[in-house]
Amino acid sequence: MRFANWLLVALALLVMSSPVQAQRQKLKVNEEDFVKEAPVVGNKLPDVTVYSPTGTEFKTADLRGHYTVLTFGCLT
Amino acid sequence: MWNVSGLEAVHRDYESKGVKFFFIYKSLAHPELAGDYVQPFTLTERLAHARQAEKQLGATIPWIVDAMDNRLKHALGNRPNSEFIVNPEGVVVRKRAWSHPAGVRKDLEELVGPVERITREEDVHLKIELPVKAPAARGVVQRLKRPRTVAIVMEPKIEERGLPFFAKLRAEATDELVSDGAGKLYLGFHLDPFQNAHWNNLTRSLSFKLEVPDTAKFEQTSGVAPKVEAISDTDPREFLLNVEAWPKDQPLRLTVTYAACVGEETCHQVKQEYVLHRRRDPDAGSARGEGAGYWDRDEFAQQQLAGDKDKDGKLSRTEVRGLVLPHFDALDTNKDGLLEFEELKAVSDWLNHHHQPGAMRTDSAAKPPIRLKAKP
Repeated sequence: MRFANWLLVALALLVMSSPVQAQRQKLKVNEEDFVKEAPVVGNKLPDVTVYSPTGTEFKTADLRGHYTVLTFGCLT
Repeated sequence: MWNVSGLEAVHRDYESKGVKFFFIYKSLAHPELAGDYVQPFTLTERLAHARQAEKQLGATIPWIVDAMDNRLKHALGNRPNSEFIVNPEGVVVRKRAWSHPAGVRKDLEELVGPVERITREEDVHLKIELPVKAPAARGVVQRLKRPRTVAIVMEPKIEERGLPFFAKLRAEATDELVSDGAGKLYLGFHLDPFQNAHWNNLTRSLSFKLEVPDTAKFEQTSGVAPKVEAISDTDPREFLLNVEAWPKDQPLRLTVTYAACVGEETCHQVKQEYVLHRRRDPDAGSARGEGAGYWDRDEFAQQQLAGDKDKDGKLSRTEVRGLVLPHFDALDTNKDGLLEFEELKAVSDWLNHHHQPGAMRTDSAAKPPIRLKAKP
């Protein structure tokens, strides 16, 4: 029984120190830092000029009157 | 971008509830990856990237394009794949550093209410397209192995009526060069796939010249790319310079000369200028690809197996997520409906090279060599 417990602890340690776990920890810290940065929840979305893919200018302040989900991305 | 189909599923469920979704096109996170893309220099070029992203990623979520000074990215915390939910009054109500479609669904269930029928990610079949194809062969010229380098700020001198930047400079420096002024400077001239140009190897090779401050010490201030036997190719022309002393506030002026052709007939002798600064460019992304560091195959496959819910050592269609899912059938090379460890390693090969998924990249991935006339 004692050996089984020891084995469980060892296994848990092994999992925690795996690259996957390290990656998860890094992502968690990144998330925690990010929520503290401006704009924090409750702040207005900064108003800047952006473009449609065909080049039409518009302001981010125009994104009103509905819930909006914004996700940053690119081709890579 | 890791999970397009996941967000597309949430979009399909919440569009009818009045929620609007947008992807924001920003500077490239990983230049040289996924079709050998390089950072655009002009807004017109960035808009073309965004239109390609619409086609290539196949989502119905529309794109917004950030300005060339990356103002929206800067205003929203400078992350490559962050996500925000804004309420009808324009107030940020949710934010996360990395896009997480399951999290967005949970948020919207709280904010807007649940939907009757949930679209599952595995039921979303995106109409994906392949990256822009190079107009001539790649893999002809041996790539330079760069040491650990970071992109530095460089400004192309854009002339209103000048030729396009067929080749675009990627300037990187080792940490020591950025911090102390002594180290290695990488100069890579990468053909922009959107310009559809290839090198003309029948004429003089690409060359560059650096104007350096008087107090600077550079091992070399000019260079000529080695002659290439093939008449044309699209591999980058790369240089690694030893720098002994580069004063912090004194930029370098670089002039590059090369011959680039669009198709078989139209060739241009090009001379273009840049100014290089000894400081890190936080918007330039980290290059990925041959010579710039690949995903480790084993590590990647192991990470993917974290999603192996039934612990059979393989991933089924319902267990894979993100970029892999839209390509599942192509990546399942033995057609058993599961992705095994070896197949997952092949996924990292695909991501590293971004050839057609499920097939190793060969020279045939590019169009056949182009015949050129001897005179440029």
